Amino acid sequence: MRPFAFTTAPIDTAAGRAALSDRACGGYATFEGWVRDHNEGREVQRLEYEAYAALAEREGERIVAEAIARFGVQHAACVHRIGDLGLGEMAVWVGVSSAHRAEAFAACRYIIDEVKHRVPIWKKEHYLDGDSGWVNCERCAQGADHDGHATHEHEHEPDHAHPHTEAGHGHSAASTGYAGVRPTVPDFARQMALPEVGAAGQQRLRAGSVLVIGAGGLGVPVLQYLVAAGVGRIGIADGDVVEASNLHRQPLYAPGDIGRSKAAVAAARLRELNPEATIETHAERAVAGNLAGWLGRYDLVVDCSDNFATKFLVNDAAVSLGKPAVFASVYQYEGQLQVYLPRDDWPCLRCLWPEAPRDGLVGNCAEAGVLGPVPAALGAMQAMQALKILLGLPVDNSPALHVFDLLGMHWRTLRASRNPACDHAPRELQPAAIDPAVLELEYPTLDAARASGLTLVDIREGWERAMDDPQRRIDWHLPLSAFMQGATALPADGRYLIVCAHGVRSLALAGHLRSLGYPQVYSLIGGLAAFEDSWQQT
Amino acid sequence: MKKLTLQYFAVLREQAGCSEEQLETAAATPAELYEQVRARHGFTLPQSMLRVAVNEEFRDWSWPLQANDRVVFIPPVAGG
Repeated sequence: MRPFAFTTAPIDTAAGRAALSDRACGGYATFEGWVRDHNEGREVQRLEYEAYAALAEREGERIVAEAIARFGVQHAACVHRIGDLGLGEMAVWVGVSSAHRAEAFAACRYIIDEVKHRVPIWKKEHYLDGDSGWVNCERCAQGADHDGHATHEHEHEPDHAHPHTEAGHGHSAASTGYAGVRPTVPDFARQMALPEVGAAGQQRLRAGSVLVIGAGGLGVPVLQYLVAAGVGRIGIADGDVVEASNLHRQPLYAPGDIGRSKAAVAAARLRELNPEATIETHAERAVAGNLAGWLGRYDLVVDCSDNFATKFLVNDAAVSLGKPAVFASVYQYEGQLQVYLPRDDWPCLRCLWPEAPRDGLVGNCAEAGVLGPVPAALGAMQAMQALKILLGLPVDNSPALHVFDLLGMHWRTLRASRNPACDHAPRELQPAAIDPAVLELEYPTLDAARASGLTLVDIREGWERAMDDPQRRIDWHLPLSAFMQGATALPADGRYLIVCAHGVRSLALAGHLRSLGYPQVYSLIGGLAAFEDSWQQT
Repeated sequence: MKKLTLQYFAVLREQAGCSEEQLETAAATPAELYEQVRARHGFTLPQSMLRVAVNEEFRDWSWPLQANDRVVFIPPVAGG
């Protein structure tokens, strides 16, 4: 017989007894659970049992395997009835046969206790007064308390599988070496052995939820470690698709994933890692209109985005909703790590950077370059901070910006405090966000751009121009650094095409100049790199 | 004149060509000090985009510098 089974027919105890009989066994213990006529002071007429079968059977089999391994009994099995049951009918049966009675009793008790606690079975009581009500299994009740949900509908969706079940038990089929059952979820024994985690901490992780913004170089390790640690619910927000240039630092993805949604691919891989974690995807870019709605449903947010606009948006959402936020950013070999906690004495991102930087003007991975382990190290530290927050451990001695240099191997902890001038209020990042589609122009050659009547302005730094092919020479050279020092004045009535290496800085500057009152400033889409092929051909 | 240790991060490190240096300076505040090293290294970022930390604490640009202070200039970074 199967170690754990559901049945809609009355339970056949004789068949169970026969299946467990063994001449090597000197004892046979059974437990039967019956439908009784009252619960919490109300008279019960009949009961209805319902189970999420795929998950429940797996969990039930795991419990029986644990009992066999833990108590050294010969055979064990459990059958649970589902459907409509009248008073006095048998709802659950457990049988154990063993060489000696003590182990048989203990294993039998263990199985029924664990089944009641861990297997997702719902019980609907029909009362004598005509009323009825669903009664949670113990574990569902815990989940419902945490989420504030009163119903169980969500439990039936495959994505909303029960959190894993090791917490509070400290053992599993995997750790006891039972050969008959392959573990299907991570065994958390190694982290539960830490006094700061333990069974209670594991339960906190299971009840916890984290929103991760960005599934790139930082986001990949954050997602992997949070899911592997048993965090119950994870949201992935990323509107991008996997690109070939991501793979060297985002090894959750493979070449076959190129062109597919990052959020969807990541979710699939993470569900393999821990099938009982709930993975939710938000496959779009975080913007003011959607972020607060997402974040409201999570305990905290981990910012793994690659641009200032998103980072400040995440900051503002976290501050206004009173949620902790874990920020990290990388630049070449360096990383910055900062945690925001919703406390009066804790600085936010704007306390530290009152002038929100404009994207494209300081450098990003596309233009600055990055080696994979740098975001991986910072992402692992973000995951650590997130776990500490969920576990209720102190996050830091005092608020700080941690600055890491992985080339020189320096770690500086720069103590920060709340900026009295910062009101912790969201602000517009850019005077008027201009749609890139309005700003970006595409030309087959530089000559074609010139022919359209635009004045070309090369904003690359001098050293970039010096390394470049003289054929690509654009006569008017005004490096971005000069713009940023305020040292450059363009006549406001001209029509300009701003050009840089990849089109990131030129787009940022074009947007900036538009906001300063230049009506006809454009950015060359893709920058000079867009002409790479045609250059090599000529 | 006082002797200070300066540390640079991100694009400042690239432009300075070093992550750390020692300097004899008459600069009384981080603001004066940044103007000095900006001219020397050709830093492209304006002071308004940076933060300064003195002896591992973020400070105002008018914080009085003392001999043997360690001064760190850092720009925000956004890569991920």
